[in-house]
This record gives sequence, structure tokens and C-alpha cells, in this order.
Amino acid sequence: MTREISVTVNGTVHRKSVPVRLLLVDFIRDVLELTGTHQACTYEGVCGACTVQLNGEAVKSCMMLAVQADGQQVTTIEGLAKDGALHPLQKAFKEHHGLQCGFCTSGMIMNAEEFLRVNPRPTEEEIRHALIGNICRCTGYQGIVAAVSAAAEEMSAAGTPARSGS
Amino acid sequence: MYPATIDQYHRPKTVDEARSAYAAAGGEAMYIAGGMSLMQAMKSRVLSCRALIDLSQVSELRGVENSAGRLRIGAMTRYRAVGEARAALGPFQALADAADRVGDRQVRNRGTVGGSLSWNFVVACTPVAALACGATVSILRVDGRRESVSIDDFLQGPMTTALGEGDLLLGIEMAVPAGPASSAYGKWGVVTDALPTIGVAVFVELASASACRNARIAVVGLPGGPARAAKAEARLKSANLDDAAAFAACAKEAAAECETAADPWVGADYKSHLIERLCLEMIGTAVRRARSQLS
Repeated sequence: MTREISVTVNGTVHRKSVPVRLLLVDFIRDVLELTGTHQACTYEGVCGACTVQLNGEAVKSCMMLAVQADGQQVTTIEGLAKDGALHPLQKAFKEHHGLQCGFCTSGMIMNAEEFLRVNPRPTEEEIRHALIGNICRCTGYQGIVAAVSAAAEEMSAAGTPARSGS
Repeated sequence: MYPATIDQYHRPKTVDEARSAYAAAGGEAMYIAGGMSLMQAMKSRVLSCRALIDLSQVSELRGVENSAGRLRIGAMTRYRAVGEARAALGPFQALADAADRVGDRQVRNRGTVGGSLSWNFVVACTPVAALACGATVSILRVDGRRESVSIDDFLQGPMTTALGEGDLLLGIEMAVPAGPASSAYGKWGVVTDALPTIGVAVFVELASASACRNARIAVVGLPGGPARAAKAEARLKSANLDDAAAFAACAKEAAAECETAADPWVGADYKSHLIERLCLEMIGTAVRRARSQLS
């Protein structure tokens, strides 16, 4: 019924005893109290708001169990800013009006961060295609696409290295 | 949406360990691959199990290997890896066309070829692409026997396959033709990268620049799941590949022989139209890809 797991989240090892059926998103939000990861579609796997990175790859955390993350590295939105300095994507979302209510934003950014490591200089079409799994009900996506594009330029110009552990 | 209680979770490292875990659970176990369909079914309580056996760490089930004239794809190879292995797929690029357009990035990072084939949802991309590629499916039966089943016999209808209770899909393999050959898959859905309203996969092996040696055409979006378009295949095999009208005739034949049904979004006649258009496009792409191998 329950199982001991050890999950490294944003570089910190968490050892917990959890029910096998506990979803990863609920482990992150309710057990670790990292509430930057959101849940918008009642666990249906369609909204992308719960996107986190598992071993550096974007995944929807409502689509897997916490026990499946045992021994793995998880990165959430709380793991992006370093020493209080926003990640270029966070900064760009703020500057380019990439959010209104902000509910989808953490999932957008966790997906976009991995996408930009795979494709550092994407076209607008590629950005739009990459964000299909993340639904925004406020912005109409223009600001989001502009933000990802601006962050890509800034990161390429600065030669921002891939985060360690990813 | 929350799974029912699960008593045990196992994450074996080998196929043998996976089978032992299944046997130890006394038949109340389920294997989980990427979980992109199974988790949905568990959360909505359509399915539940006492023991869940996670195949994600079974490395022998992962990877694309092209050797000795056979292309093998492990069941636990994720869509993303299939897309990234496009060059290694040789003539079976339809599988990469399919993998690259499944769901969204997050789904492609988790979902697997074997999971999709085992689930065999009525409209899905991987089964129809594998059908056109003429795959052979490797199965480890619950009693330990290994068996190879042709994809035509494996796909038995919506959510029904040749897998029995406790059987494990190990992977698929295809014989790589010696001559120029290729394939293509395309779909139309109500939103980008959605499940296919209609999808068409075409495989061709050329005898020369203007003649086919072999052709397979498979269509998805039909009420009974993916199916071969046998009359269109026969027509393509005897077609002059320099004759654009011959491609159009094949596409028309495919649309005529596949019986479509309306859904809440798309009428049956429009689906037939989609079959014709996609079939024409995919024949063109597959033939062009195959011809590019002619020196």
C-alpha cells in the first residue's frame, strides 16, 4: 500500500513513505508542499499545467505515480531561479506578458526550458508546436510565444549552459 | 481522477524479473509502459490492479537496432527516441512520422511503441504505421514461450490484440529490403497532433524508379481500427510510378474500399475525402523517399 521512496527534487533528496497510488503531482504539491506546480484539469492529462522535468525531460506529473520517480531527479518551477535571479524564461514571461492569471505558466516554462535545450534557436512555428501540450486560457498565446522566443535569444547570446543534472 | 488502491509496485530491471513479479502477484498484476493510456484508465477506475509492474528500467526492451537485415525496435522505446532515430529506421520512416506527431512533447517523452501497440486504441498512430511497415511482433507469453506474430494477426480490433493475460510485448521487427524502399505516415485530427480522425500509412519497395515490387497501405480512423487497403495496394503494385494519375487512382480506390463512419465532429463522406487526400500525399512521399535511394 505504501512504499519508501527517495526522490531528488530541485537538488534536494526527499525520503518519504507514500501510498503506491499517489500521483507525482500530489507528491510534489501535498507532500513536499511545492505548490508552484499546478493542477488545472483534474488529473486528466490534457492541460499541461502540472508539467515538471523528470531527469531533465518534460513530463506531466499527473500522468505518473510518485513511486515511479523513486531514485530519479525531478525539477519543478521552484528549481529554476538561482539565488533569487529569475531564469531567462521567467524573466521573459514577465516582460513579454506571457501570463495573465499565471496558472499555466509553471508548466509552460518547465516544458519550454527543456525544449530550448533540445532546440536553442527555434522558429515561431517550432515554439507553437512545442507548446501544444500546455493550455492557456488567458493570453491567446502571443505573449507566451514572444517570451519563449526572447528567452531563446537571450540564452543563445549568453551561452547559457544546460542545467546540471539534466 | 485518482487510481484505486494499488498494493504493490515493482520496477524490474530485466524481462525475467518482470515475469517473476507478474507470476508472484498471482495474476492480479498489470505491466505499465509509458502509462499515457494506462494511467488514464486507472485514474478513471476503468482498470485497477493489485500489483503494478513498471517496465521503464528494463533496458533490454529499449532501443532501435538495425543489424543483419533486420530492424528491431524495443517495446519500451519512447516516441521521442523513435523520432530521433529516424535515420536508423531506414525504410520504416512511417514509424518516425507517427512518433513525431503523437500528442505533445510531454507525451512523446513518456509514451512507448510497445504501450501503444498493446493498448491498440481504435484511433492511434503507431499501430497503423506498424501495419503498413509489415512488422513482426515479438511476444513473451505468460508461460515463458517466445512467439512472433505478424502485425496483421496481432491487431485484432479496437483495444484487442494477440496478447493474452500476462503476455509481454517485447518489440517489433521488420526485414529491411535489399532494394530501395521507404514509407510515410500522415494524419488529420481536429487539433494539431491529435488522435487521428483519419491517418494513412504507406510502405513501398521499388523494383525500379517507375515500378513497385511491394506496397502496403494502411488506414486508421475506421470503426474497426486500423486496416489494410488491399485493393489500393494491388493497384499501386502494378502502377507506373511516373504516372501521377495512377497515384490518384490508388488513393480513390483506398477511399472507396474503406468504410467510414461519422463521429460528432466529422462526417463519413469527409473522412473518405481525407483518406483519398492523405493516401495520395503519403504515396507521393513514400515513393519520393524510396527513389532518393536510387543512384
